[in-house]
Amino acid sequence: MSDTPPTSSPITPPDHRAARRWNIVWFVPILAILIGGWMIWRNVRSQGPVAFVRFETADGIGAGKTEVRCRSVRVGVVKEVKLAEDLKSVVVQVELIPDSDQLLRSGTSFWVVRPRVTASAVSGLDTLITGAYLELNPGPEGGEEVNHFTGLETPPATSRDIPGRRITLTTEQAGSLVAGSPIYFRGFEVGRIESRKLDITAQKVIFEAYIREEFSSLITENTRFWNTSGIDVSAGADGLKLRTPSFQAMVSGGASFGVPEGVEPGALVADGKEFTLFIDEDAAEGSTFNPTMKFVLLFDQSVRGLAKSAPVEFKGIPIGRVADISFDYLTANDDSRVPVLVEIDPSLLRREAAEKMGKADSEFLTEAVKRGLRATLKPGSLLTGSLFVDVNYYKEAKPAELTKVGEYLSIPTVPGGLENMIQAALERFQNLPLEEILTKFGTTADQTTATMAEFKDAAASIRKFTDSEAFAKLPGDLRACLAKIDQLATSIDKSVASYGPEGPVQGDMLRTLDEFRASLRTMKSLMTTIDDKPNSLLFGRDSSGNPIPKAPRR
Amino acid sequence: MSEPLPRAANLGLAGCHTCGKVSRVSLGYCPRCGSHLHLRKPNSIQRTVALMVAAAALYIPANLLPIMTVVELGDVTENTIISGMMTFWRQGAYPIALVIFTASIVIPLLKIVALTWLCLAASGKLHPSPEMLGKIYWFTELLGRWSMVDIFVVGILVALVQLGNYMTITPGPGALAFAGVVVLTMLAAMSFEPRLLWDRLEELRANPSPLKKAEP
Repeated sequence: MSDTPPTSSPITPPDHRAARRWNIVWFVPILAILIGGWMIWRNVRSQGPVAFVRFETADGIGAGKTEVRCRSVRVGVVKEVKLAEDLKSVVVQVELIPDSDQLLRSGTSFWVVRPRVTASAVSGLDTLITGAYLELNPGPEGGEEVNHFTGLETPPATSRDIPGRRITLTTEQAGSLVAGSPIYFRGFEVGRIESRKLDITAQKVIFEAYIREEFSSLITENTRFWNTSGIDVSAGADGLKLRTPSFQAMVSGGASFGVPEGVEPGALVADGKEFTLFIDEDAAEGSTFNPTMKFVLLFDQSVRGLAKSAPVEFKGIPIGRVADISFDYLTANDDSRVPVLVEIDPSLLRREAAEKMGKADSEFLTEAVKRGLRATLKPGSLLTGSLFVDVNYYKEAKPAELTKVGEYLSIPTVPGGLENMIQAALERFQNLPLEEILTKFGTTADQTTATMAEFKDAAASIRKFTDSEAFAKLPGDLRACLAKIDQLATSIDKSVASYGPEGPVQGDMLRTLDEFRASLRTMKSLMTTIDDKPNSLLFGRDSSGNPIPKAPRR
Repeated sequence: MSEPLPRAANLGLAGCHTCGKVSRVSLGYCPRCGSHLHLRKPNSIQRTVALMVAAAALYIPANLLPIMTVVELGDVTENTIISGMMTFWRQGAYPIALVIFTASIVIPLLKIVALTWLCLAASGKLHPSPEMLGKIYWFTELLGRWSMVDIFVVGILVALVQLGNYMTITPGPGALAFAGVVVLTMLAAMSFEPRLLWDRLEELRANPSPLKKAEP
């Protein structure tokens, strides 16, 4: 290399700078960014919306396995199941298929479909094999998007978007009414109870009920709902009452509704209307009762047996009920009578009477009391001892006046009930002409003495007869009679002997028994045959086992 | 110290990239194998940087997307690199988790960082000591072959575990991206011209920067 001098003139030092500002190699990062971006974008796109559903238990739910379905169409899968922070519930993370954001909106409900067998329905049997799945029911259209839901523990009876009337029933006693219980109208099923919950602040049970679209016109403002669950046994003033609904309602509970008689149905109601669910039909009917007048009745007698809401009747027609029994209504301290507050619905009376009664001057009532209008307690049922208040005109009642006790008017009372009856009986007893009877009794005793004397005479004449000769001859006659009886006995003995072991009757009997035994034996062999081959009754007994010759083939 | 030997570049000599024959760069082509002759790899820094940007771009999907999907009795589990590592860690298999962490997350990152650092040094933005440069370059070369471990594992699993409905493993899009990262970083390391570093050092020695002149 010595012959090559280091001539720097033709040789340029290495050029470190980039020859060109733009190089084809820059396509590589651009491509990489594009590909990477596309991959991420595709991955994000392929991930559907995520929802978090809270359940009481994750029984049957598995991450990656449990499907989410909407009307039996797979719309997602459970991604993760974990305990909630409070450890009292589980949070199920659900990933839906892409572009299904509209499924997650406020009002959307989730529930686990498991096999359920209740008295009123059997559902989800297919999940016995496929495992449980989550059912999604989209909320009403236009709801805002949400991601956190609280799952339902029991499936709603009907889907939100099935048309129909949805109403709320509130009651104080849930009875056996549960989600899914039928709602009847005149015994015909028209809807269902969808859910029930307890309102702790109001101390009431609240039912969501659904009435099918075609029957929604039955629900009007004056519709009354009542519980028809179970068997209703009530003992009231009108005796014992037993009422049973249909078998299904008996088992699973049910509700009925109707418009009480004599009441206008009123306007149709909108969804979400709240109704009271009465305990029974009577309570529902009674709810039409609109008491506007109150009276205090002061009773001298015990009011034992008179219950609150016992009927107040005018000549047997109910016009009101007992509102309260309390000494608080008394104004005077020395009064020992029992005040009973009754409420009266004047609309149950004749119209003019109602109008007159409603007047403040109470002239009508004053006049009525003068004519003998009195209240009294009457036993409604001797069996239960319950009382009711009867208002009636008593012609012979002691004159009394309409008074005012505190703020209420008071109709005078007359004693009634059992007490009254006993009193009447005592009075009648008092009125008996006892002395006269006693005098008569004295004369009777005299006559008896005379009779006794006659009786003594008769005895003397009997003794005379027994002492006579004819009486002494009597034993001989008797002996002859006995001999004849002996003869008779001998002939009877003979005829009895024919029934004895040597007699013909016994022989007949033995033969019959033999025949019976033979037929029993035959029966036994028949039984054995049937036991061995039950179809032998139809196909006959097997033959001896010998081959049956077949017809020759042609 | 003795006088340094003359540099081949200053003599106008270049080694063939293909066959290694030293010939005059003015020839243009290697007289032995006919390849292009360059004193240094052309556009080395730009190429390296471009490939590294590409690798960095693919590094994001590689870590975000699942690298394999395990279907076990209908139970679908998608594993990203990190989730797989976390699974091993939680199960107590710390060595395996550490190997995955090192091979799949740390090494590609280290490689990208180291190459960037070398590129900055080669273009004169940084002035590290030559010993440091040497170590870092050696390190980059060393790391190169180890980052394929993950892809290798996925490849073997996908090939072996195909048991129909019982268990099936399929590669995910993350595996593709990760393979891209590894290949691109290797290409970037290859396209880097380490001699540029020493050229820069020579240049500095010949006419020191005004900053360093004041020192001695």
